[in-house]
Amino acid sequence: MHATPVVHTDHSDHIHPPPEGFIRKYVFSTDHKVIAFQYLAVGIFFLMIAGSFAELIRVQLWNPKGTFLSFSTYNEMFTMHGTVGVWLVVIPLVTGALGNFIMPLQIGARDVAFPWLNMLSFWLFPVAGLILFSSFIFGLPSAGWTEYPPISLQYVGTAFWCLAIITIGISSTLTGLNFTATVVKMRAPGMTWTRMPLFTWATFATALVNMIATVALSAALLALFLDTVFHVPFFEADKGGAPVMYQHMFWFYSHPAVYIFILPAFGVISEVLPVFCRRTIFGYKMIAFSSLAIAILGFAVWAHHMFPSGIAPWLQLPFMIVTYAIGIPTGLKVFSWLATLWGGRIQFSTPMLYALAFLITFTFGGITGIFLAAVPADLHEHGSYFVVGHFHYVVAGGSVIGFLAAVTFWFPKATGRMLHEGLGKLGFWLFVIGLTGTFLPMHWLGLEGLPRRYASYEYFLARYPDVVFWNRVETVSSFFMAASVAILVINMIWSIRRGRASGINPWGARTLEWTISSPPPYYNFKKIPTVFGRPYDYSEPLPYRNLDNDVDAYPAPMPAPRPNPSLGGR
Amino acid sequence: MSALNSPLEAVEARYLDVDPVYAETRDIRLLGFVMALGADCVLFSSFIFAYLYLRTASPAWPPFVGGHQLPRLDTAFAALNSMVLFGSGVTMHYALENWKHLKKQAFNGWLAATIVLGILFLLGQGHEYLSAQMTWQGSSFGASFFTLTGMHGFHVLVGVCYLIVLMIQSNRGVYTGSKYFGLTAGTLYWHFVDVIWVFLFFLFYLW
Repeated sequence: MHATPVVHTDHSDHIHPPPEGFIRKYVFSTDHKVIAFQYLAVGIFFLMIAGSFAELIRVQLWNPKGTFLSFSTYNEMFTMHGTVGVWLVVIPLVTGALGNFIMPLQIGARDVAFPWLNMLSFWLFPVAGLILFSSFIFGLPSAGWTEYPPISLQYVGTAFWCLAIITIGISSTLTGLNFTATVVKMRAPGMTWTRMPLFTWATFATALVNMIATVALSAALLALFLDTVFHVPFFEADKGGAPVMYQHMFWFYSHPAVYIFILPAFGVISEVLPVFCRRTIFGYKMIAFSSLAIAILGFAVWAHHMFPSGIAPWLQLPFMIVTYAIGIPTGLKVFSWLATLWGGRIQFSTPMLYALAFLITFTFGGITGIFLAAVPADLHEHGSYFVVGHFHYVVAGGSVIGFLAAVTFWFPKATGRMLHEGLGKLGFWLFVIGLTGTFLPMHWLGLEGLPRRYASYEYFLARYPDVVFWNRVETVSSFFMAASVAILVINMIWSIRRGRASGINPWGARTLEWTISSPPPYYNFKKIPTVFGRPYDYSEPLPYRNLDNDVDAYPAPMPAPRPNPSLGGR
Repeated sequence: MSALNSPLEAVEARYLDVDPVYAETRDIRLLGFVMALGADCVLFSSFIFAYLYLRTASPAWPPFVGGHQLPRLDTAFAALNSMVLFGSGVTMHYALENWKHLKKQAFNGWLAATIVLGILFLLGQGHEYLSAQMTWQGSSFGASFFTLTGMHGFHVLVGVCYLIVLMIQSNRGVYTGSKYFGLTAGTLYWHFVDVIWVFLFFLFYLW
């Protein structure tokens, strides 16, 4: 028998030279790492804007009468806070910044599948922001971040809002497409699906959701735009349109969107925990496949946002059951993380503190989500502060804490410098205390019946006098979170200039990005490594061959394992 | 095009002249393109959902506007126009097959036929719009009909421009007998537009 000739591609032939000149290098760059930094910078800029809107809301609610802002300005503020927070902060940060920087490095690729498309995706993002904020000439959108018709049809701002969100939606769709193609086609040799790092798994599931769901949102907003501007009666009941139809179309995207927020954070936690426990991740396959399960089930739960909107009663029950079913894969993840901690040699570094806080705050937000999915409970809680509390526990306590864990974890890789640990811990405690103080009281205020989106709660005082106290606690606490973000930004800027050099692998982590120099070179990998196993097994040597650096020679800078007394010396 | 003479040689060349880097890039681009078409499908599906929702929510279909029921659409004319579009799918298929067999003359002919049929379809659609007895703003029927067929017509228009670009590119020697991903993508896109029309034709004219 003749031996089959093997087509051998020597990847080191295809290293492109880095671009010359400031514009090609830093502005219109196709390098995924530069694009990640661009997403990070613009995302944090919008985070500050969304945060300022939130502080204005909180200051307004200091007094029950609400005299700080006019009521219509208040409507604009909470609308813009939600819109900017969802589409211009969280989604770009967790998919654009984290996904772009980490995923190609973790799979051993030199860039994403379509680098030029990646650049386009990024540049649509500030354009969307410009479109959204240019609406202030005619009045900012003010019908809430969901922009339900018929009320949203009354404002010109809605048209700008639609255009802006369609633009950022196209950006998300293209990013999803790009990442899916990258994960499917560009993994290093030997990296089978079940050897992929868990952050890459999470990014892959997110990318699938992004690609499918975001277009549905664009369709809903295109219809809303046509209705607002050209009076095409999709949602005007007097001409045969159906306002509730908008809610279906909107939530068909916007429920999966919360999984776009949270899945990358799940991935971050799955990477951080084994590193700082010095233990292999428990239940690798459960964590990996539950991301896919969540992504798929997420498409069949949207109507749980619409229980009081007049959908058919027979339709409520299946949506309630499927929503409960999402608790199963999510619970599998949480229990796997807890089992990873069990018997680990835990090091309380800043990323690990964020990861541990995530386990508590996210789980709390998840459980209140189960309350809201129950039809009888939801009919009481819907449209109250309970929803606001739940949502922010998931987004601030889940996505943002996951994002902060990621920033503090991968900052040394991205810049070659360590963040200041003291400032990092100060920021952590400020954030967690602020989070609890701001969003925890919302739960009981909501159960008492305090409705969301009201500019004043004067009428509420007679029945529940404690409402003033708790609102003031929330307002004060919210400034703790603002301070935490400010400290993070100061810490990042200071550390880039003055921070301690990090070396290749400061945490002793085992995924591929920790085998190349920090910051990674333009081409990422001089030689494409070969992968022989999963990256989490701390009892084994690194499962890679053909690495650029002899990283096995770097001893993990960790103290020797100490027996855990609670486990009888295991 | 390459210096090969016979179709057989061309087929052989496709298997012998394997450029591994090109093959890898082509795979990635094909996946990306198919996923983009899938995302486009979601766009149409969303508006089809809206149409079905509005249709089932309405007490009568076609709905009443100002006390009068709107007439049904002209099925016979649309059927004729559909044949034009489906026919263009057939001609596009022959165009690509001829390219694969290095029959450049035939390729040009079939591609030109596809472009002409696409333009004919657009003209037919324009006629349909002008003679329609309802407006975009007047009723939920008009809203969903003009939006969906308008989106589809826009896709056909983009497709016609795309095919014209492909024709220019192929005659300038951008594609060869073994590297012609642009032509594959154009064909896929054109078939995609055809398939969408199958659904729209059923939903608006036959049902």
